[in-house]
Amino acid sequence: MKAQRSRATLSVKVLQYAFTMWVILTLNFALPRLIPGNPLAELDNPQGLPIPLSEEQRMRLMAYYGLDKPLWRQYIDYLAGFIRADWGWSISYNAPVLVILIRRLRWTIPLVGTSFILYVALGVALGNFSAWHRRRFSDGLLLTLMSVTGAFPTFFLAMLLIVLFGVKLKLLPLGGAQSPLALSKPWLTRNLDLIRHAILPTTTLILANIGEIYYLTRNAMIQTLGEMYISVARAKGLGERRVRLRHALPNALLPIITLITLRFGFLVMGAVMVETTFAYPGIGSVIVEANTSRDYPLLQGAFALIMLSVMGANLLADLLYGLLDPRIRRNV
Amino acid sequence: MKVILRTILKTPPALIGLFVLSLMVFCALLAPWLSPYDPREAFEPMQPPSPRHILGTNDLGYDLWAEWLQGARFSLTLGASAAALSSAIGLLIGSIAGYQERAGFVLMRLVDVFLAVPRFPLIVFMAAFVKPGFWTLLTFFTLFGWPPVARIIYAHMRAEKNREYILAAIAVGANESRIVFRHLLPSAFPLALVRLVSEMQHVIMAESGLSFLGLGDPTMRSWGMTLSHAFRYPALLLTRVWQWWALPAGVAITLVCLALVLIGLALEPLANPRLRDG
Repeated sequence: MKAQRSRATLSVKVLQYAFTMWVILTLNFALPRLIPGNPLAELDNPQGLPIPLSEEQRMRLMAYYGLDKPLWRQYIDYLAGFIRADWGWSISYNAPVLVILIRRLRWTIPLVGTSFILYVALGVALGNFSAWHRRRFSDGLLLTLMSVTGAFPTFFLAMLLIVLFGVKLKLLPLGGAQSPLALSKPWLTRNLDLIRHAILPTTTLILANIGEIYYLTRNAMIQTLGEMYISVARAKGLGERRVRLRHALPNALLPIITLITLRFGFLVMGAVMVETTFAYPGIGSVIVEANTSRDYPLLQGAFALIMLSVMGANLLADLLYGLLDPRIRRNV
Repeated sequence: MKVILRTILKTPPALIGLFVLSLMVFCALLAPWLSPYDPREAFEPMQPPSPRHILGTNDLGYDLWAEWLQGARFSLTLGASAAALSSAIGLLIGSIAGYQERAGFVLMRLVDVFLAVPRFPLIVFMAAFVKPGFWTLLTFFTLFGWPPVARIIYAHMRAEKNREYILAAIAVGANESRIVFRHLLPSAFPLALVRLVSEMQHVIMAESGLSFLGLGDPTMRSWGMTLSHAFRYPALLLTRVWQWWALPAGVAITLVCLALVLIGLALEPLANPRLRDG
């Protein structure tokens, strides 16, 4: 099934992703217009928004949605604006949406990136360990531990970590990305402060995501170790280490790349939860903020950016899969 | 079905899972008898746990134990029905696609489009506009829940339809619908069931996440909503209040998910024979 999918040529893959992205953008265009009234109706409602809009903001918003124009014109303008990096004007920040999003990415990319690298590396390593020690005590223990962490909702895990390390032990900050006035401190103190604030969010993301990777690695490795060519390699008299690392591991890793792809959406959702719980000023908390303040342009922008990055990562993983699997390499 | 029951009964962790799950279902079913209060009956707000209010009351004076029981009803019903619907639709479409080449091609392209979209971010985004209640959530989760099932069943069907007993059925003149519904579908049941269990876990987790982010219908009585209400107070974790306001709901979601994981782990070898002992 996977081999069949990956056999598609590069251009077909890219086209497929472009098509899906177009569907998403269309949804992004349509959803605010499908809610009862128009997107401004909620804003005109005096109870809907804590601060009434100024006339200038209203005009900007009208221009952004182009509500006076026919629907097809609005749609074309929206798509063109998206490509020209004109993603609209945020109501609550009174600034271009894209500027706010990029400012927020500075926090999200290191957080998600570090967690991603750590949980993939740790998950694969532990999964291998488990497969090699199958049906021993250590395998059972790891399997249980990983199943348990996977059952925690991300935000609940975050909450427990805050209570334990922040409130009870007072070791780490409760939330936020940096201490107030941190910018005026010397370089080293400032960066240590940043790291201290990132420890709990990173740990939460790792714990929330490691289980699945671990479990798949373990299963893939167990299956691979049962293959004929592994017996052949052993029969040739190769050392167990070499058989496992050189012969089994590369093959067991292939399905994991697909899993990482499929899990990327989960990772992003995890980031939204973690950033919200820890009040971390990244792209994920923008969604909740924009939702509370009914800042639809910002919400749409955040959504488009998240989808764009998830799809980009998926495309990358697809290409990587093609490069790594010798059975389909020549077709890519 | 017998194989499935036997597998669960033979595996101690799965048995524990089944027990925990049954306990939750029991609480959900008997909610009106387990708590003397209506979940929307207001008492003195912010009371700590007492014999009168086992889990105390929240900021609006609602009895938290009654709310917890309603949460159990909501989360379990939503999880079970969304997972069952997804699996049933996936099973049906997957088997048709697997048996009929031409219909299969079209159906699988549809599945491809659905699978290419990251579903949880999409559901979050839709929820932000729609503020979904029970039925809308059920629709969302089913809409994006069936394609993965359909793909797995499809692959299974393609392999299965060339097996000897199917060829034998064709040889004795069984018609197509008989072959699909009497022979092929039952062979895919264990696969669909394993998916159902993990899907239920995902739905319960996703719903609690959505509600926690404040994206659900605020009048909904789910565990996630209880947590969301509690978290509107930033100092919640600094006082002891979180222990009876937020902790029970969080523990409940975790326990249900854990129970489903344990059952799923025990059932997995049914769907993936290479993991069996030996």
